Amino acid sequence: MNKFWKTGEPYVLATGAALAIILVMSLSLVGVVMTNGLGYFWPRALVKFELKDGTSALGQIMEQENNPISGARRLQLKVANRDVFGQDFRWIDEKDIASRTLPGDAVLLERRENGNYFGFLQGITTEGLVLTGVTPYEQLLQARKLVAGKLENTRTIRKQMSNLNSNAERIRLKLLKLEYGGQEKNASAITELTAAREKEMAEFSRLNEQASATMADIGKITAQFSDATGGSKDISLTEIVALQRPNSMSFVAKCGAYLERVRELLLDDPRESNTEGGLFPAIFGTVMMVLLMSVFSLPFGVIAAIYLREYAKDGLMTRMVRIAVNNLAGVPSIVYGVFGLGFFVYGIGGSIDSLFFPERLPTPTFGTGGILWSSLTLALLTVPVVIVATEESLASIPKGVREGSLALGATKFQTLMKILLPMATPGIMTGLILSMARAAGEVAPLMIVGVVKLAPTLPFDTNFPFFHMDRKFMHLGFHIYDVGFQSPNVEAAKPMVFVTTMLLLAIVILASSVAIYLRNRMRSKYTTSTF
Amino acid sequence: MAKNFIDKSRRNDRLAELLIRIGGVLVIVSVVWILVMISRVALPLFYPPSAKIAATVKLSAAVLAGKVLAVGAEESQQGAFVLDDSGTFHFVKVADGSLSASIKVPAAPQGALRVVSAEALGKSAYTLLWDNGAISAVTVSLAAAKAADGVVSLSHDVAPVDDLAFAASPGVMQSFARVIEGKGTVRIDRLTNGRLRVTHQLVEKDLLENIKKSSATAELTDPLPGRLTVVTVDSKGHYLYGGTDNGWLLRWDISEPGQIHLLESVSASEKRQGITSLALVLGDVSVAVGDAGGSLTTWFPIKVAGSGDDRRLTRIHTLRSTDGKVALIIPSPRDKTLFSGGNGEIHADHMTSERNLLTIKVSAPLSFAALSPKGNSLAVLDSSNALTVWKLDIPHPEISLGTLFGKVWYEGYDKPEYAWQSSASNDDFEPKLSLVPLVFGTIKATLFAMLFAVPLALLAALYTSQFMSPKLKGRVKPVVEIMAAIPSVVIGFLAGLWLAPLIDKSILTIFLSIVIVPFMLLVTIFFWKRIRNASLLQRTTRGHEFIAMVPVVVLGIYLAFLLSGLAEVNLFAGDFKQWLFSTLGIRYDQRNSIIIAIALGFAVIPIIFTIAEDAISNVPRNLTAASLALGASRWQTAWRVVLPSALPGVFSAVMIGFGRAIGETMIVLMATGNTPIMSWSLFNGLRSLSANIAVEIPEAPFNSSLYRVLFLSAVLLFVFTFVINTVAEALRQRFRKKYGRY
Repeated sequence: MNKFWKTGEPYVLATGAALAIILVMSLSLVGVVMTNGLGYFWPRALVKFELKDGTSALGQIMEQENNPISGARRLQLKVANRDVFGQDFRWIDEKDIASRTLPGDAVLLERRENGNYFGFLQGITTEGLVLTGVTPYEQLLQARKLVAGKLENTRTIRKQMSNLNSNAERIRLKLLKLEYGGQEKNASAITELTAAREKEMAEFSRLNEQASATMADIGKITAQFSDATGGSKDISLTEIVALQRPNSMSFVAKCGAYLERVRELLLDDPRESNTEGGLFPAIFGTVMMVLLMSVFSLPFGVIAAIYLREYAKDGLMTRMVRIAVNNLAGVPSIVYGVFGLGFFVYGIGGSIDSLFFPERLPTPTFGTGGILWSSLTLALLTVPVVIVATEESLASIPKGVREGSLALGATKFQTLMKILLPMATPGIMTGLILSMARAAGEVAPLMIVGVVKLAPTLPFDTNFPFFHMDRKFMHLGFHIYDVGFQSPNVEAAKPMVFVTTMLLLAIVILASSVAIYLRNRMRSKYTTSTF
Repeated sequence: MAKNFIDKSRRNDRLAELLIRIGGVLVIVSVVWILVMISRVALPLFYPPSAKIAATVKLSAAVLAGKVLAVGAEESQQGAFVLDDSGTFHFVKVADGSLSASIKVPAAPQGALRVVSAEALGKSAYTLLWDNGAISAVTVSLAAAKAADGVVSLSHDVAPVDDLAFAASPGVMQSFARVIEGKGTVRIDRLTNGRLRVTHQLVEKDLLENIKKSSATAELTDPLPGRLTVVTVDSKGHYLYGGTDNGWLLRWDISEPGQIHLLESVSASEKRQGITSLALVLGDVSVAVGDAGGSLTTWFPIKVAGSGDDRRLTRIHTLRSTDGKVALIIPSPRDKTLFSGGNGEIHADHMTSERNLLTIKVSAPLSFAALSPKGNSLAVLDSSNALTVWKLDIPHPEISLGTLFGKVWYEGYDKPEYAWQSSASNDDFEPKLSLVPLVFGTIKATLFAMLFAVPLALLAALYTSQFMSPKLKGRVKPVVEIMAAIPSVVIGFLAGLWLAPLIDKSILTIFLSIVIVPFMLLVTIFFWKRIRNASLLQRTTRGHEFIAMVPVVVLGIYLAFLLSGLAEVNLFAGDFKQWLFSTLGIRYDQRNSIIIAIALGFAVIPIIFTIAEDAISNVPRNLTAASLALGASRWQTAWRVVLPSALPGVFSAVMIGFGRAIGETMIVLMATGNTPIMSWSLFNGLRSLSANIAVEIPEAPFNSSLYRVLFLSAVLLFVFTFVINTVAEALRQRFRKKYGRY
């Protein structure tokens, strides 16, 4: 025994335990995110409880635990119907339950407002619709299809309206510019434009009336539901986003519903202050910001790395550059945000505004946070990642390759362009991907320089000049912070945050895995000597 | 052709070299640029304030026909006005001293001929006491506009304040009048016989909008410790302050109609000097006292030990004293700055920071002075009838090194404290911008996180580099590297919304784990020795020990969880948090420092691990080989040979992790309650410098003091991490030179 201790085997085990703790922590992080995120979209059964006090409740079982006070087993039930009950969740003690059933006709409605509705379909008001269905549920499905067709019409009208609106806005800005240039000098142009604008506005309000009339018409088509407590509710079909009867769905149907929800998540706009619906604008904003960032950070990082590895001589200057690179990597990201605000937004943005858009002041154009400033700030933040990866890959190219090229008469630049850079491409890619992963997950500086919780427009659209660098944008990471910590009903928003987290985590882990794989392959390719 | 081509190649080569060199230098430039740009925003906090004479004019005879009672200035230092005892406001263009207009006070009380005294009422209003004892109030507005040709034109107006008027009453030498919100009005008179009189005019409205008027008068009859020299009233008409010729400061409650209730009298002058001027600082909490000896102090009531809820006036701040007596005190209408005039000079001091902002020399003794409503112009009338208008530039009076890093006695506090509270709903709020609680929070979070992360990361790095089988190492290292890529917002979210409620349910699990997991480890080691003897097992387990440790750790934590329930019921009466509060008096926050330690620790573990592992792996294999050949065990080799050689690299890994933890924003923001308190308790939250920036900067107005203080904290973060990273990098470079592969 004594020898066993002396050789230090126990300490080896202790160090192994430290590694085990780290791995357990990482795996549980991923596990928690996966279980909470993946399960959210699965259509859970709607259980109807008859309680011993004669009341009943309908809902999805979320959790089971021991009551901290009485120690009795209890269930957390999502009863939804926020507008009726006031709360989405309630606790039921197991001993109070008389019976539980799975009624096949229990309906789950996803609504545009007030969260889900759990209940039973009673009937449908067929305002001007011819329905051939026999049961109310069939009728409802049929009516939904008809309503969807009508909604499609209003959607085209809305699209026209938004075009008119952006035209009018463009004319307004032109007018501002003319007025700024001199009221008298441009008088004729101003009257002309004002007339044009009024025409657009008139058309806009005509369409608006038309659209709201149609909507009012459709709004009259309602379905009647009753909930487990006996209350009834009229719900307009336009309010219903999706409906299902989870208790009578087959496994395949459930899978279909699951995939439909995933599609909605990836391609639809958010609803109910981001706690429901899709993530499309956030995904789009993140991707566009990251791509824009790479445009700035990649060339800068690669050039700096080439300087360090190929051009600089070992000396004070190189040491200073290296220290600078390390500090760029080590300075807190929030400091970059502060710098971005002071330098890009108020400094450069303010100057651009006073030089090019003086007529719009005091409403800032570039003098406020936006996607351009965000990507520039993050570019600075991620440059060290590119530098380190590129430098490493250049370093791993054997010296003989360079010497061979130079001996054949190529200049240093030719060697670089034709030999070294192509060979180092996997390493540069590693740096690029790692920097993108870092940027996709970085939130703190973005909060200061341009991210918003809800952006009305995407930074890229079909209106000239297509890329709107001054616009604010949505971001997956900020979405997590905002929905998880700033929304009024955190408990109800939590599943959505878990889904967003899972998405972000998946993107980041996937990207880094690819990057690390590329790097390791590159490393082993050129490693010439081993011990 | 060939020559051309070679020339072109050479030219390209030179051009490329230049560009690449510029690119390299640009890295240094951007680091320096970041520091320069954020410092440039923060630095104006410490710029000295300035006062420039905008103009000095001799008042003309027309203006000086009567006795001057008050002066005033306007924002752009173009106009000024003088009130004389005939009740006329003379508006003067200060550029040339020409009279722009003279406006007689409208609606003077009946039978009144001359004005006896004028007291400022808020920013641009005066209450006038007439010779028959009647009171009226006027508001004065003065604005200057500059036309395109440079000609200045003044626009001015004098309007009566309708509901603030009192009828004649004889024997009054000085009067104050105030509107009491929703109740009526009150006048406070200093009588010629040295007594005080308070008259309330109450207006009551019943439900039917019938107006009932009544009045109540009280005269001060109590004996006073000395002769009253100065009196002042707060803006709501609740408290009356008086100073005597032998240095006593008195405070009366006059909020009850018909009553003057002496609250207290304190000796406010150390040498029993007479009090010569009194003024209430903006916000009506503090009263500034100037005495005949020239000292200027501010006072407000605080709780005194042993007197229950009673509050007593206490000297809080001592400001710059003047030569001779303090003739007048002018509180700034914008902040807690006080202007005090003495013998030939005017001081501007900020009360909270006790910072002497300005000292303005005046050649002749001054008779009147006033600030413009925004506090950026000062009009001074001296005894030689010269009117001087000063342009003041005091951008950040409340900021000094003392308020940023020292204890400050804020209004309403019982003792000097470090506090951060940047904004409140009201205008006259005293901003509390001490960085100390934030620096404290940063250090606390970082230390706890490092305590958690460093042992785990370093031990794991040692294991991975020295004991693990190379094949597994190729799998485990990337896993940890990917862990480093997990966005901090994800860790913060899980810490705040998943881990915090989990630990909230069973805090004891954490403490018990610290005991039980090592215990389980000991038990395992005991069995390990037995198992190890089988040679087959030995060969397979070597380099894979940590896999066997995974179930041990999981089991240990689960056991701790089971035991914590038992312990809570049996030892802590079923509720540990309640026990903590009732027995030890410790408050438990759900988002506390334990959460932060785990979450922030989790974020820095991969960084420390990766760098430390690299450093340990880079120790030349021949050292290890030699040690093993001499008969040392693998642990002895790792601990005695490899680790000491790699120490600089390991140390730099810890420092880089430390630098990361200091600046981490989202985790601290989401996993703590962001309360800027200073307590080392494990169960309380904190607010760090970085989270503070994220919380406050969206609300901070451009170029305000708060905005610049936030930039200053960014500078602090930058400098701090810069030092740490530079030292760590220097260490690493030396280490690399010693053993480096390249």
